[in-house]
Amino acid sequence: MPQSSLYQEEHHPSPLQYTWLEFKNNHIAVAGLFCFVFFLTITIFCPLLAPFDPNVQQIGDLLIPPAWDPNGGISHLFGTDALGRDLLSRIIYGCRMTFGISLLLVLVAMLLGVGLGGVAGMSRGFRSSFLNHTLDSIQAIPTLLIAIIIIAILGPGLVNSMWAIALALIPQFVHQTRDFVRHELSKEYIMAAKLDGASNTHIFFHSILPNMGEMLVVQATLALSVSILDISALGFLKLGAQAPSSELGAMLLEGIEVAYIAPWIIALPGGALFLMMISINLVGDGLRSALRNRLLH
Amino acid sequence: MVNVLLRYLNLVVVTLFILSLLSFLLAYLFPGQAVENLTGLRLDELSTLQNNQLKYAIDDNVFVQYWYYMGELFAGNWGVSFSSGLPLYEDIGHYLPASIELSAYALFLSFFIGLPLGFLAALQHHKLTDYGLLSVSLLGYSIPVFWLALIMILGFSLQLGWFPLSGRLSLIFEIPSITGFILVDILLSDSIDKQSALIDALRHLILPTLSIAIVTTTLILRITRRSVIETLNSEFILAAYARGLTPRQVLMRHGVRNALIPIWPLLAMQFPTLLTNAMIVESIFSWPGIGNWLIQAIYQQDYPAIRAGMLAVSVLVVIFTMSIDLTIRLTDPRRRRVGRAAI
Amino acid sequence: MNIIKKHNKNARFKTISIVLASILLCACDVLLQSETDPNGIVYCSEGSPASFNPQLDTSGTTVDASSHQIYDRLIDFDPVTGDVVPALATSWLVSNDGKTYTFQLRQQVPFHQTETFKPSRFFNADDVLFSIDRWRLINHPYHDISGGRYPYTDSLNLGSLITKVERINGYRVEITLNKPESSFLANLATDFAVILSAEYADKLISRNQKELIDYQPIGTGPYQLANFRQDRYIRYTKHPKYWRQIELTDKLIFDITSSSSLRLAKLLTGECDAIALPAHSELEVIRQQDDLVLDEKPGLNIGFWAFNTSKPPFNNPEVRRALGMAIDKNALIEAIYFNSAIAAKNIVPPTSWAFQADVRSLSYNPIAAKNLLREQGVPEDFSMTVWAMPVQRAYNPNAMKMAELIKAYLLEVGIQVNIISYEWSTFRERLTEGLHDSVLIGWSADNGDPDNFYRPLLSCAAIESGTNRAMWCSEEYDLLINKALQYTDIGERTYFYGKANELLAEQLPLIPIAHASRYQAHRKELDGLVINPYGGVRFGGVKKL
Repeated sequence: MPQSSLYQEEHHPSPLQYTWLEFKNNHIAVAGLFCFVFFLTITIFCPLLAPFDPNVQQIGDLLIPPAWDPNGGISHLFGTDALGRDLLSRIIYGCRMTFGISLLLVLVAMLLGVGLGGVAGMSRGFRSSFLNHTLDSIQAIPTLLIAIIIIAILGPGLVNSMWAIALALIPQFVHQTRDFVRHELSKEYIMAAKLDGASNTHIFFHSILPNMGEMLVVQATLALSVSILDISALGFLKLGAQAPSSELGAMLLEGIEVAYIAPWIIALPGGALFLMMISINLVGDGLRSALRNRLLH
Repeated sequence: MVNVLLRYLNLVVVTLFILSLLSFLLAYLFPGQAVENLTGLRLDELSTLQNNQLKYAIDDNVFVQYWYYMGELFAGNWGVSFSSGLPLYEDIGHYLPASIELSAYALFLSFFIGLPLGFLAALQHHKLTDYGLLSVSLLGYSIPVFWLALIMILGFSLQLGWFPLSGRLSLIFEIPSITGFILVDILLSDSIDKQSALIDALRHLILPTLSIAIVTTTLILRITRRSVIETLNSEFILAAYARGLTPRQVLMRHGVRNALIPIWPLLAMQFPTLLTNAMIVESIFSWPGIGNWLIQAIYQQDYPAIRAGMLAVSVLVVIFTMSIDLTIRLTDPRRRRVGRAAI
Repeated sequence: MNIIKKHNKNARFKTISIVLASILLCACDVLLQSETDPNGIVYCSEGSPASFNPQLDTSGTTVDASSHQIYDRLIDFDPVTGDVVPALATSWLVSNDGKTYTFQLRQQVPFHQTETFKPSRFFNADDVLFSIDRWRLINHPYHDISGGRYPYTDSLNLGSLITKVERINGYRVEITLNKPESSFLANLATDFAVILSAEYADKLISRNQKELIDYQPIGTGPYQLANFRQDRYIRYTKHPKYWRQIELTDKLIFDITSSSSLRLAKLLTGECDAIALPAHSELEVIRQQDDLVLDEKPGLNIGFWAFNTSKPPFNNPEVRRALGMAIDKNALIEAIYFNSAIAAKNIVPPTSWAFQADVRSLSYNPIAAKNLLREQGVPEDFSMTVWAMPVQRAYNPNAMKMAELIKAYLLEVGIQVNIISYEWSTFRERLTEGLHDSVLIGWSADNGDPDNFYRPLLSCAAIESGTNRAMWCSEEYDLLINKALQYTDIGERTYFYGKANELLAEQLPLIPIAHASRYQAHRKELDGLVINPYGGVRFGGVKKL
């Protein structure tokens, strides 16, 4: 900026800017963010990126090792699986399914969770204590068990497992929102709004919600990693996405059959999943410590 | 004190009531006839049965049916499995301890490793050790547990041939099930090859326990680290330093205990995660536990088994978390309710 | 003071850590050594048997778990030559008209003794009568126990073939047929013609527990059932007074492991001594291991794709032909069997004398197939189901995968495929009800006689008994295969089977896909385990070195 200011003005970054500054200083977290963006790109543009159709079986090219193996070929960078499908394309599509669906589920769960949590946080008495108790009991039940029950009712399948996971994700958003709302309600700016005659809804939407953004992002990264693990675990257990689908967990399950002769079929999709989880956790960790540091200063 | 106890008792009873109601409703939600799902018997088999109370309740309304259902539950008559025809009560009594055993060892191992490392990381805050441990733990809790288990099998069982990869005891050994906990059962049995059976059981335990423990360890490490750091930053620690105590004395007298208190409830919250991982790992290592059993039940559309298994596991979880909650409430009056884990 | 204390503490800490470390080291040393118990054989089988009576079930799983372990037959096949050899019958006579068979029975053959049953007598003619009459006579007290269906004997119509089974004396039995049938003796030597205990059956009647006969079985075989846990294991103990002088181990355990990769893994780690049905993709791995042995034999089996001919448009042979032309059999064989199978032309394998090399076979031609389909009025985007069996069999190690490949092929000729699979017993039940459009399944022969392929697979009677998956009934075909049975001369029989082959090539109720080799893998320490080409695995005479 060539224009120099005449007055010595102290520059105060907004809270959001401050968090970003803190985050930027954490190089590993930034690397995680790049990874995250990379997966996001794959998810959005995957048909353009994948060299082959993930479900086309080239019967002539079964179990070709990856390109770096002496027996591998350049046409299939990651090799092929037992049905002659290009593994790279399958992993790209698999990332889209696993990552994209998880993202979607987290968004849905967040919307519902914040809504319910807002109600729980703003209300008092019987309604609130009923909600709290129900939530606590649901949270005590392992996600997988909830998913198993829902899948037992609806039957295995990707969509049904999505329902199950979304349902299992909601409680933590409700919990966090409720605690946050409770905490904020005791603060003075809320009191000021109340004295101005604002209604409960008005207070929630205009005073509390804008402050919740960061908390929600942090929660979302946590939920995202849970959701990815769950969706792939269900796929792996044959309860979620089913065999021909390129969901990463389901791919791993298919790979077990040939694990001994073609270890890359297990290693590569699992590695992709691992990388995805690392990047999300790095971003989540980075955000959390950035927030913590901001609050400390 | 009595008040608190009563409140918890009330809470437990209400929760268990809700769970039993849920399991009853599941029989209606599952495909097929509700009565079949409740008893595990097909309609034609039911009509030949004589002394089954539920049978008389078939034509009654739902409330009467639920009443009978509860009666049967308490009598230990949980119905039979569709696929094996065995009584579910005995089946669950057989599989649940195997899961508890596996989870308990994994939990123990995680504490054994995670707590000291967490302290170490916190004491070396912002130093190389801290960053190292933090990065390793990030890897640890990012790794999908089923993939980890597979890699372990590929490496330690198939390549190196060190450990067996399925079950919890070689079938060669016949150990009568008394407690359901394999190590205890072996010690109690009067089999001649007790020692080799014990070694065999330990060899079977190692890989599944490790697979579960790695994830839990990293969580415990992070929770401990965060808690210790926060404790060490608090004012009473500063006050202790001001009184001229050495860092070691500060840590031992004030740090450890105060850091540990908030850890317990957070760890209790990890129990469902632990159980989830145990269920997945069980199915990979063919561990004869409740998770593996439930998953098989879904494959075979064995609704009575899913219903009973769900009830058993959730009751276990509820009782476990509630009792930890209660212990904390009774020992630490400052806490009002269990908080969320921060890692 | 403080310093000394600290020092002490440190010393104590050191001692403790040294002790701990040494314990850990020792433990590792002990834990890493895998030792195997020489007194037990663990066999990793692929599934739970439906019962312990092979009369009730043709599935290989049931046969493996019961036929040669728990029971004996009157006569056996020699696993090497395929000849019929004496077992519980020491000798037999066939009358000149080929209608009467007289068996001289072995004496002093004891049955198993369990906690609930103590046999008071040796095996005799009553047991033979009971075992045959159970499936033969509809009003027999045991006929309807455990379902009352005897798929093998029903599909061959053996019940109506036999007019009477008579006890001449305690150790001599006479069986009379209503017409001569050349495959009869072979049928008595199959895995399904087991001898049960009549005394046990009587005892169960008096206790009103008839159904136990198939679940807590009593036989004369080398091993007796100790206990069985569904989907987990079957335990047998040795029959201490087994009549054959052969090697037996104290314990025989079937470790039920449904996934083939897991079975291989367990074989590699030594958790199993032998495994059932190694996957074809894994054979190379087994060959490379020094401590594993892979036995191979051409199999008496056929994997096929059967159409439900009772449903339109599959009742039209031209539609079936078009579908057959739409798939590339050789590519399927390469992908599924990893070249351990040969493409099938007839329903019998080339090792059988009824095989015909010159019969017309379909070649892969998707364009002609598409045209033919349109000609026959099958619309574009027609949708059909392909049922894929959920289990692995030698004749089709991965039906699911095959179904997916077929789906891809049929898409090219404009047909949508839905792949359907259920749990194995449900699957077979629904197949018998005829709910499928087409199914990928197969057949393993139980004896060397070609009749064992022709009749159970495609005769009209086999629809009812549930082995005719094509639901195909042709009078002409039934006539041909019945004619073939009335002659003992192989030349004459070949003529009729040749006619039947031609009929099948024209009608195509099923597309024969492959004859797979049979494989059996076991660890080197296991001695005496041979492939039984005529059915189930045998552990009598197998020992661990």
